[in-house]
Amino acid sequence: MRLPIASGAATGAVALTLYPLFSEGSWFWAMLGVLICTTLAAALVSRFAQPPFAAPIAMALAAILFMTVSFARDEAWWGFIPNFDSTAKIAELMAEGWDEIQRFAAPVPSTTGITLLAAGGIAFIAILVDAFAVRVRRAALAGLPLLGLFTVPAAVLNEPIAWPAFIIGALGFVGLLVSDGRERVSHWGRAVLVRRTRTTTTAPDAGKLVLSGKRIGVTAVALAIGIPALIPTLTPNPPFGFGVGNGFGPGGRNVGIPDAIAKLSGQLSHPVNAPVLTYTSSDDVPRYLRIYSLDEFDGQQFKSSSLRGRPEDRVSESVMPPPPGLSDTTPTVPTDQTITVSEDIEELRFLPLPYPAAQVIADGDWRADRNTLMVFSTEDDAAGLEYKVIGKDVRPEPDLLNNAPDAPIEVQGRFLTLPADIDPAVIELAEEVAQGATTPYERAVKLQQFFTVSGGFTYDLQTKGSGLNALSDFLLVGRSGYCEQFASAFAVMARILNIPSRVSIGYTGGTKSEGRWIVRTHDAHAWPELYFEGAGWLTFEPTPSGGFGQATARVPSYTLPQSDSADPAPGASAAPSSGPAASPGANSPAGGIANAERELGPTGLPVAEETPIWVNIGIGVAIALLLSLIPAFMRMVLWLWRRRVLNRAAAVPDDEVPVVAPKKKDEDDGWGGGEVIGGEPAGEPASVWSVEEPVVVAAKQENTFAAPAVEAAWAELCDTLIDLGMPKAGSETPRALGRRLAEAYPLDTEAAKALTKIATSEEKLRYARTPGETTPLVDDLKAIRRSLAASVSRGRRIAAVLAPMSALLRVRGLGERLLDGFDRLETIRFRPSRKATETATTEDVLESQVGSRR
Amino acid sequence: MAVTHGVGDEAGSESLNELVEVAHRIRDAIESVIEGKSDVVRLTLTVLLAEGHLLIEDVPGVGKTMLAKALAKSIDCPMRRVQFTPDLLPSDITGVSAYNQQTREFEFKPGPVFANIVVGDEINRASPKTQSALLECMEEKQVTVDGITHHLDGPFMVIATQNPIEMEGTYPLPEAQRDRFTAKIAMGYPEPLAELEMLDVHGASPPLDKLEPVATTAEVKSLIQAVRAVYVSVPVKKYAIDLVHATRQSPDLRLGASPRATLQLVRAARAHAALSGRDYVIPDDIQDLAVPVLAHRLLPSMEAQGQRRLPEQSLAELVRRVPVPDTK
Repeated sequence: MRLPIASGAATGAVALTLYPLFSEGSWFWAMLGVLICTTLAAALVSRFAQPPFAAPIAMALAAILFMTVSFARDEAWWGFIPNFDSTAKIAELMAEGWDEIQRFAAPVPSTTGITLLAAGGIAFIAILVDAFAVRVRRAALAGLPLLGLFTVPAAVLNEPIAWPAFIIGALGFVGLLVSDGRERVSHWGRAVLVRRTRTTTTAPDAGKLVLSGKRIGVTAVALAIGIPALIPTLTPNPPFGFGVGNGFGPGGRNVGIPDAIAKLSGQLSHPVNAPVLTYTSSDDVPRYLRIYSLDEFDGQQFKSSSLRGRPEDRVSESVMPPPPGLSDTTPTVPTDQTITVSEDIEELRFLPLPYPAAQVIADGDWRADRNTLMVFSTEDDAAGLEYKVIGKDVRPEPDLLNNAPDAPIEVQGRFLTLPADIDPAVIELAEEVAQGATTPYERAVKLQQFFTVSGGFTYDLQTKGSGLNALSDFLLVGRSGYCEQFASAFAVMARILNIPSRVSIGYTGGTKSEGRWIVRTHDAHAWPELYFEGAGWLTFEPTPSGGFGQATARVPSYTLPQSDSADPAPGASAAPSSGPAASPGANSPAGGIANAERELGPTGLPVAEETPIWVNIGIGVAIALLLSLIPAFMRMVLWLWRRRVLNRAAAVPDDEVPVVAPKKKDEDDGWGGGEVIGGEPAGEPASVWSVEEPVVVAAKQENTFAAPAVEAAWAELCDTLIDLGMPKAGSETPRALGRRLAEAYPLDTEAAKALTKIATSEEKLRYARTPGETTPLVDDLKAIRRSLAASVSRGRRIAAVLAPMSALLRVRGLGERLLDGFDRLETIRFRPSRKATETATTEDVLESQVGSRR
Repeated sequence: MAVTHGVGDEAGSESLNELVEVAHRIRDAIESVIEGKSDVVRLTLTVLLAEGHLLIEDVPGVGKTMLAKALAKSIDCPMRRVQFTPDLLPSDITGVSAYNQQTREFEFKPGPVFANIVVGDEINRASPKTQSALLECMEEKQVTVDGITHHLDGPFMVIATQNPIEMEGTYPLPEAQRDRFTAKIAMGYPEPLAELEMLDVHGASPPLDKLEPVATTAEVKSLIQAVRAVYVSVPVKKYAIDLVHATRQSPDLRLGASPRATLQLVRAARAHAALSGRDYVIPDDIQDLAVPVLAHRLLPSMEAQGQRRLPEQSLAELVRRVPVPDTK
């Protein structure tokens, strides 16, 4: 009964790792529903002891029923009985879903078809898992279908699964194994109990086995997570970045575009304006270097749809694919650039390139995406790379642009899409701006004029956010932002005006120094590109340039109004506000915003020099050593704290000499008992009949620091004993402990006295009506430690300092309490179990009592 | 913690010193009669001061009766000895009402229980009816005959002896009745040297004749009062409860110790502490007394019997396992 539920839960836990495949959450409910249905069916089959083959059938029926109710309710009889129509509907939806999967790259939207497919797939896995784990009783084999499910996101996705999802999945499988083990043990039979118990137990107590099983499982999962994180050489992630993919950065073989926009503002406001790359150009004209091209506007921000880097598009093997939309008749000037990326750039897997590039000559497996001409690699890193780009400088005539035909349907479909809920005021604004323009090109020019001249926009790096509201705020209210806002707003308005648009992220042309163009962090930039049939994608520049804008931004000549620039000389530019290329020394305002340091992403930020591998290993070893010294450190802190407590108590002046009652001197008569320390060296023979300690009868101001000091001394003594491998037994009283130590180890006089003092004061503190008057001193503890340490081996002494057992036990106790917490979670039941409450009164109590001293 | 400085403490410590001194005298006196049995003597005194009763189980001739007599004589109090036989009647113990022809009234003739120390020799030879008559007196410290209740004067201590061999025709005390005894001890044979000394010293004349009282009944009463004032902290009480509880849970034991056992254990621990000159009880007192006070109340389980494990051994094991409380 428990096993089918466990296998359902395991499937569910592993299915959770599918989350990165979907962009919305509705698939989760479908998964939950189908799992509940199939698990219920499996549990019922088990409950009524039906033959094993009935389970897959029942589960499949349950899944079909669920899918019919959820997806084809209108066609089915009475809303849930499948008929021909509903089956046809489901088949149709599935085909649709299949289509969509082909079309979309992950993460896919949760359309009906895709959700249906996901539900069906998960149901299939659930049936397999149930068949292996419950029907064939091979729970370990059930790991195979689960693993299959688990590898789906890993195979499809650009990013690895986040470690919490991995933990959930792994624990789900461990839970299945535990359940199987428990079921197996319960078949061993009934425990024969000779002792009278109030209830007869129905199954042997497998709790201990389950407990150790769980502990092993939890440890295994923890190791799977922890070890890769600790071994710096096995992972591209830094130590402690979590081994199984940290859920943040890119990893694995596929390349995903990181959140380019977030990185952009981080770079712009980074305090250090470090060089990113340098280049030389055949015509010595700076050009924008594009890294990413973002084509999808989701209402929040521009994103990149997935890339395809086919092996035949390797830049080393062929020229670049033709630039989309650029016809052969359009005048172009070939250019030639040699770009050197700085050594300090981390994880840059896209090449900064001028657009459009005709050929890229670079070492490594760099591939071009046919649609966007982005060049990227899944294996190589651009750091330190030198490559040559042969580009085309497109110089379109205004006539050509004015007379450009409509863009092809696929371009329109992809680059004109806008969310339905876009602010009408924005649409209105766009139309107002474009008033009077007859062609798309004119509209585009007017739009740029609006941003750079007539709109009253200001450049401000502090602006945050993107998205629909941010867009409206930017356009209608604040009119203040930096390149991202300008580029996004421009692109959105262009789409409103029916011009296909996209946003590019990369760098401006930089500044010239000593014959080379240097591109720095603060030259990071975003700009819009508009599509004109015949000319392809053309760069526009709505962002203010110069000292009050993006310092090195340049306005292409063809984007300027015809009247201003009758002869659009190639490469020349006349920005409305300032010169095309700002003086090299000019700092952008961004440079001053030191406090706005954001998360530095993998793209293009200079970091510390790459450390050689042996340094990494050394760091790993050092970290491991430091970690292993934590217990020693804990122990030392504890000792220092106790020493403080002791010293504080000792510092209290004795303002009154205690009156000591006459002490009976008596010969040792050997009547049992005895003084705390047997063989007391300082005279004063022990006697049960004598008063053991001077009885203090004076009313003395009580030393409030005394009790904590006595406690501290005793705790320190016990810890010392544990460290030295002679721990106090749980049933040992202070007196008995003192006796044992004195008998077993050769203590010197001072240590024996100190031991008596500590034991006696602890005993009085605990059990007497009034605590004793003597307070142990730090020196007492030192004397005992010295004396005891002399009687153990050198190795033991070193271990007592470097890996003190008392601290290790504390750590272990902490871990055990944590695990016990997990166990408690498992024992939560909806109904109080009779068995649980009654057995708790028998051995468990005693076990827990005596167990606490271990 | 209770902080009570001053007069109370002073008085307490003085009476404690006195107690130790008196106990010392009594011990010396008894030891002049019984050689080399200091732990037995100490336990006997502990039981006396804890207002309990003692069961001595051992083979004949090791000095069971001698111990009882020596104790009685050294504290100068009335001692009566009852030899239990199968035909002993309850009234032979408690006393009878006899018709006085002169006063024409029934007159109560007190039985042997009307003494401070009563020695019940071979208590297992008497019929259960008679045994229970004695046990009733032990518990309630009073005798009711013909509807009239007669109180027994304190201190009142029954020292019963049992002979573990020659079991034929005996009525071993049932568990419920063994539970009334605070402690059970075995005298054990004396050491060879002690036995030699015994021959030398006591060979000529009965040793008891030479024994002079060293304490009075009144003194013993005040000692008992002093013992009652001994402080038992909460952790120690908890420890006693833990230990007793453990006997109830142990798989080695079919019957654990009763709440009465807990009570008597703590009471005996008070006396034990006082005899050590301490005005507070420590877990060591409980540990020392656990076997003599608890063992005779326990019944071993079948498994333990099969493995020939005595309740004493199981109990000692529990003492080793149950942790002592380490916080105030």
